[in-house]
Amino acid sequence: MRPSLRRLAFIACVVLLALLPLAWPDPYLLSVLASCGIFVVAAISLNLLLGYTGQLSLGHAAFFGIGAYTSALLSLGFDVDLGVGTLVVAPKPVWLAFCAGMAVAGLAGWLLGKLAFRVRGAYFVIVTVSFAQVMRMVALNWVDLTEGPMALNAIPSLTFWLPGRGVIELVSKAATYWLVLAVGVAAYLVVARLVGSRLGRAMIALRENETLARSIGIRVTHYLTLASVVSAAIAGAAGGLYAHTVRIIDPDVFLFIYTITMVIMVIAGGKGTLAGPVVGGLIFGLLPEALRGALAPELQWMLYGALMILIVVFLPKGIVPALAALARRGPVRTAHGTQTDAQAAAAGPAARPARTEEAAP
Amino acid sequence: MWNSPRILAAFALAVVLPAAALAQDTIKIGISEPLTGPVAASGTYVTDGARVAADLINSQGGVLGRKLELVIEDNKSNPREAVNSAEKLILKDKVPVMMGAWGSTFTLAVMPKLVEYGVPLLVETASSGKITTAGNPWVFRISPTSQMEAQAFGKQLASFSPAIKKVDFLSVNNDWGLGAATEFKKMLAEHGIEVGRMETMAPDATDLSAQLAALKGSGSDTLIVTTGVEQLTLAIRQAAEQRLSQRIISTGGSFPEQLLATPGPKGYTSTHLVFFAPWALDRAQHPEVARQYADAWAAKKYPFPGLTEGFRGFDAILTIAEAIRVAGKAEPEAIRQALWQVKVKGVNGDIAFAKEGPAGKESGQNAPTIYVVQLKDGAVTVQ
Amino acid sequence: MDQLLQHWVNGMVLGATYALLGIGLTLIFGIMRVVNFAHGELYTLGAYVAYGFVSLLQLDFFSSLLMAAAAGFLFGALVERLLLRGRDLGSIDEVMLIMIGVMIIMQNAELLLWGGVAKLVPSPFAQEPLVFGSVAVSPIRLFVLAAALVLLVAFYFLIERSRLGMSMRATFQDKDAAKIVGVSVSRIYTLTFALGSGLAAVTGALLSPLFVVNPTMGDLASLKAFAIVILGGLGNLAGAALGGFALAMIEEFGAGYVSTAYRDALGFLVILLVMIARPQGLFAAKERVG
Repeated sequence: MRPSLRRLAFIACVVLLALLPLAWPDPYLLSVLASCGIFVVAAISLNLLLGYTGQLSLGHAAFFGIGAYTSALLSLGFDVDLGVGTLVVAPKPVWLAFCAGMAVAGLAGWLLGKLAFRVRGAYFVIVTVSFAQVMRMVALNWVDLTEGPMALNAIPSLTFWLPGRGVIELVSKAATYWLVLAVGVAAYLVVARLVGSRLGRAMIALRENETLARSIGIRVTHYLTLASVVSAAIAGAAGGLYAHTVRIIDPDVFLFIYTITMVIMVIAGGKGTLAGPVVGGLIFGLLPEALRGALAPELQWMLYGALMILIVVFLPKGIVPALAALARRGPVRTAHGTQTDAQAAAAGPAARPARTEEAAP
Repeated sequence: MWNSPRILAAFALAVVLPAAALAQDTIKIGISEPLTGPVAASGTYVTDGARVAADLINSQGGVLGRKLELVIEDNKSNPREAVNSAEKLILKDKVPVMMGAWGSTFTLAVMPKLVEYGVPLLVETASSGKITTAGNPWVFRISPTSQMEAQAFGKQLASFSPAIKKVDFLSVNNDWGLGAATEFKKMLAEHGIEVGRMETMAPDATDLSAQLAALKGSGSDTLIVTTGVEQLTLAIRQAAEQRLSQRIISTGGSFPEQLLATPGPKGYTSTHLVFFAPWALDRAQHPEVARQYADAWAAKKYPFPGLTEGFRGFDAILTIAEAIRVAGKAEPEAIRQALWQVKVKGVNGDIAFAKEGPAGKESGQNAPTIYVVQLKDGAVTVQ
Repeated sequence: MDQLLQHWVNGMVLGATYALLGIGLTLIFGIMRVVNFAHGELYTLGAYVAYGFVSLLQLDFFSSLLMAAAAGFLFGALVERLLLRGRDLGSIDEVMLIMIGVMIIMQNAELLLWGGVAKLVPSPFAQEPLVFGSVAVSPIRLFVLAAALVLLVAFYFLIERSRLGMSMRATFQDKDAAKIVGVSVSRIYTLTFALGSGLAAVTGALLSPLFVVNPTMGDLASLKAFAIVILGGLGNLAGAALGGFALAMIEEFGAGYVSTAYRDALGFLVILLVMIARPQGLFAAKERVG
């Protein structure tokens, strides 16, 4: 797609989504879409690590959870016995707590970057998984701070701060929907900007061939850590949104299954593309709603598992690149095992400079 | 004539519309339970109990001349889904009353929605004190809090021989286990009984050898265990293996059903606090109700072990049905007011609600009956 | 302190089972480099096979162990041929995602088939524990320890001393060179995966009378197996075995003397510490990992 056309399509989508509550004010639908939107934001953040830097980080629920807990704790206020004395924090306005959640999650991203990027491949995967598990254990057992399994409840709902108007509390479903949409658009734009910049090109370079990138002087660990921080901060934002819309969180937000859900969304949609996590997020976020009542819960899960396998086997690049290839060239032969070659051939003649959404062959 | 699509459509409508009108003649009750996830077994049993009750009531003519219709949603053992399922039930299915959501965390997640939309909720299993002290007038709970259970047990302390002098705790590491340990510890302190070690275990832990070895030399005569049925079975078996000297007492209604078929070592005894003892229906406070429930359950070929949890759903539906009857109409506010006046003979015992929580915004709390049963060599006796 | 011996005995039994889990995963993760999230599901499969044969078909426990091993072996071979054959195993994320999909399908299929209620497999031995001084251990646990040690030794000889083992190690060191010398690479892949899966299944069956059998029992097993493999060093069988015992002792003594609450976290903390200090594992020779 030509850049100007793509920009137009993006603006059109955003406008359409923004007008949805006015055209179809069903509160339940808006609630479902907002809930789905939060996961789309998380998927967008994971895509930055997974898709653009090529690092298979499976601990993403950690950042989501850290953002959620930080925002919740700051907005509720807490006191914790630190051994040397008691730290007492008064409740803060929600928008401030939300921003703090993003900051702390970003910090965690930096920490994980320092820890994990000393190793690669399978080791890296295991380290990231362990990181999330340790976070979960801390949330579970540091009862003094996090209430542990008793859960943090009565979390205040989202507020918005405008200069001049001050603090506005968001009560209606539509308002929540719009805020989630705004955060989603912001996340999309941040990632798009990052990917399109010099930083982004460096990340893609190291994804494609790390040794070569290193040899021409690209500071690999530096860029990876940067990606980790931004990715974690956006995931923290999603976590904050979650905490203030569901208004109760317990250590289960750190569970591996939530990371898996995000991974499914990114991979199915198309990692390394901007639209991929959005498409994947919408599909796998809304599928449970669509199947509600139609299929037994266990069968639903089996369906997701099967879908995941099928997409990885037949559309290894994801749905968005497959559709893009289709649009450009007509049906591409999808023989098992030769899919990637066919895709690469299709992408070859249409290859563009690094600003393009598809992976360079 | 039958070839004309318009006439065919009109004919079809003429058949369908009255049927639709008839279908509207049911009273819907919304149910949100964990049907998948780690606690799926319990959620399914409770839902089965509710189904048994609804069928029983419908076979006797229903409520206010209309049949009960259970609209069942899976909250997938997580609070976000609990909220989603509640909103779906209230906004799309327009249920006037709900039952749920099994776990304390799921129930707490749903509670703000009750105030937002004005729909009463019958809490059938959750034990956290927060639920009825949060100032939510739409919440009515029939299950006991850990505090109530502890107090009820306190009354029975003297009946144990050898006497209870020092107690250890082994609790599952969630709000239920930890809450129970706290409340029982408080109660024991009131009776001047010493508390030894307090150990915890992760909900999915199967190897409890470390905890049990730590408890082995503690010098206590009693070990109070609070956890689900599976882990309780493991704890008792492994405690017997490691030759723990403490007598084991379990709380919260869990009964190690599997030990009836495959008993532990000879002569080994364990005591259990349950809310329904299906092996001794005559000892229930209202044997006729208990028998009706057990027979209907068996008739639907539901598994016998599920009786000890299914009764919660059964009693909940009985209570809701009675409230609708008293209210005279299936409207949320009317049902809410009627719930304060109901007196139901349930499987567990008498059900009636007392005010609990901040003045002006009280929730309803029932004071259930607690039974003490002993398990030895595969046989159960009710104290 | 008087419980020291009891903790040690518990740790040994647990360690043997962890070692088995570790070795099974070493074959698949360590040697094939497949991030097999479905490993725990093979463990669960073995346990359900044991339950099915013992409780439903009234077979004896020891035969059911063989059945479980066979079931795991065949299932592993099936998964490898259907889903992994011909795939570039270096493309880690694809393979990993396929295995996650397999895990989800298997777990929910089990939930559908057997229900969420845990099943008990009766122990083939008497329930009365054997008492040695202040230490009590049940006969089944001693059997598990013995069986695990036997399997460990058998696998050591298989991988390190037999021709098959040599072919396996050659294949994963250099696939093309192995092909040149006449090793049937695709058969080796299938065999390795099948062996690792079979071992996981037999471990599950072996442990089933000790614990309970439910659909989610594999989750923790999976994660701990990864911890063990990392601790011992990828591809290092002896390291995995030692890692298994090490993790078990850390957990047992950590839970006994430090805090039972953090018991499961210890495994993950260990992983993180090892990654920081010595990423190639405690027992492997130094190799480039990053």
